[in-house]
Formats: sequence, structure tokens, C-alpha cells
Amino acid sequence: MECHSKYKVPGGKLIEIRLVHKNGTIESLEIIGDFFLLPEEKLGLIERSVEGFKIDADEKDIASNIAEVVSKEKIEMVGIDPASIAKAVKMAVNS
Amino acid sequence: MRWRIVGLETHDAYFNMAIDEVLLERVSEKLSPPTIRFYRWSPSAVSIGRFQSMEEEVNVERCRETGVDYVRRITGGGAVYHDNGGEITYSLVAPEAEFPSGIGESYKDICRSIISGLALLGIKTEFMPVNDIVANGKKISGNAQTRRKGVLLQHGTILYSLDIKRMFSLLNVSKEKISDKMIKNVEERVTSVSAFGNFSLNDLYGALLEGFTEGREYDFGMWSREEIEAAEKLRIGVYGTRKWNFSR
Repeated sequence: MECHSKYKVPGGKLIEIRLVHKNGTIESLEIIGDFFLLPEEKLGLIERSVEGFKIDADEKDIASNIAEVVSKEKIEMVGIDPASIAKAVKMAVNS
Repeated sequence: MRWRIVGLETHDAYFNMAIDEVLLERVSEKLSPPTIRFYRWSPSAVSIGRFQSMEEEVNVERCRETGVDYVRRITGGGAVYHDNGGEITYSLVAPEAEFPSGIGESYKDICRSIISGLALLGIKTEFMPVNDIVANGKKISGNAQTRRKGVLLQHGTILYSLDIKRMFSLLNVSKEKISDKMIKNVEERVTSVSAFGNFSLNDLYGALLEGFTEGREYDFGMWSREEIEAAEKLRIGVYGTRKWNFSR
């Protein structure tokens, strides 16, 4: 099933999520928006870190998984953060 | 550090984005000097941020009909309409060690040149985090930054004049939203140099040149043959391709 959400981070940038889930599991995910993320090519690692989560997973667990990747890969984000991405993911699966 | 200044020139969107990436690579390899360039876009173009969706942001059909280019930038941020006569764009490429390490602080540091330049025209502006410059609370300049292999690229636009109706016709804003109310709303949030006096585009360029060279050692220079060749390769192989521009 395809899902979609748009979330404007208060005081930050826009996050748009496009995801596909099957049998209750997030299969693929794309993060779109006007945010800044360095190095740019590492956005895919964040997207992959959400794939495999159950759609009823806790928002905090998704956020902490993203935060781990961000820290390990020394990713810098401006206008978004792990918590806001996780929030947008949950908004998409609940849409 | 001695800078190269490449004076105001005009290229298409694909070359403009390609030469910026070439500079990022070549400055990191010390093959090109730290560079500040000023440019315009011909034809006019829409650029979108690295992580945006072309189809969602841009009215591609309308762009094609009216001969407006559309390109994905290497940098993040939002969609921007680059009118041929309505703005001046700059790019600054230099080792990141020359700037404050935090993204926010480095934006502020580089934007100071624009603020100084506009002050020469009597336009009082201030930096508005994360990446804007405002005059009387209205946005007059948007900026975007990336870093690669120890080198920082910041590019941005300084609005000379505004044609909001044209801008909206090229960006994907629903018809219902292109109402007088929304145009008024944008007019309340965005401004341009022309709103502050009878300045020519050349006046703006002169002011920006002063602002960016203030306190810097520099020489005026042109592109080397190697830079042009590398940019042409990227222009055709990346920035002019559907694969890059419609990747999201």
C-alpha cells in the first residue's frame, strides 16, 4: 500500500514522505523536501534505516534508529531532525 | 588566501550548476583557486533543491511552452525562479576551513558580503536564519550551501525585480492558490532591490562586487579550458539529463 505525508517542521523545513508498506512492514521510503542534509548522498542511508519497521512501530524507536545513522555517518541536517522525520513517517502510515 | 573573481556572466541553468560542481571538485584538488562568481540565467530557469521532486514543484509543461529551463541543484533548499533580468546569482567556493564550522554561522558569515553590498545602495538588510537575507522583514536573498571534500560551496540569489504572476505560473501552485490574496501574501513576504529605488541591474552587480571583495585579496579571472571542458561534460552528462532532474 502506498502512503504519503507532508509535514512542515515548526521553524524548520518541509518533509514529505512517500512510502510503501506490505503485510504491516515498511518496504520502501523516500524523503522529499526543501531541507538541507550533508553529505547529500547519505539521505539514502536514513531512508533505508526506516525500511523494515512495522507500520505500528513506536515513533520514538524510528527516531532513535535514524539518530543512530545520523551520528554514525556524521550527517548534518538543517531544518529537519530524526524526530521530525519519524513523525512524518507515522503521519504517512496513519494517513 | 587569494580569490579569483569571475565577473557577471550569463549561462543556461545546466552550465551554471555544472561549473559550480566543477569548482567544488577542483578547489579540493587545488586545481582551481577559491572563486566567487556572479551570473545570470539565459534562458530564465527554475532550480529545485537537491531533495525536492521536480514534478511536484515545477510546472514542467509550462516551462517547456515558455522556454524556461528547469534543473535540480546540488544543494538543498527550495524551488527558485531565476528570471533572466530579475536577479543576480553568486557562487562562492573555497576551503571550508576559511569559514566558521557550523552551517548556520558560515551562512551568516558569507551573507555578510551581500548585506554590505546592499548597504552601499542604501538598502538595510539583515541575516535571517537559516539561509535568508531580509529587508524590512521581507526576503530579498535566498542562499544554499553544501560541502564536499573539505570545500564549501554557497550559492544564492539577490532579487532585483519581482514578477510574482510569472513565478507562480512556472511553479506548481494550485490555481486556487494563485489568487490575489496569495499574490498579496507573497508581496508581503518577498521584496527586491527595485522596490528600494531606481537602480539598474548593473548597480546591483557593482554593489555585490564591492560587498564580496571587501577585505579579500583577489584578482579578476576567467575560466580555464579544463574548467570549461569539465563543466560541459557535467552539463551534458548530469545537469541536462532527465535522470538527474527527475530523480525524485
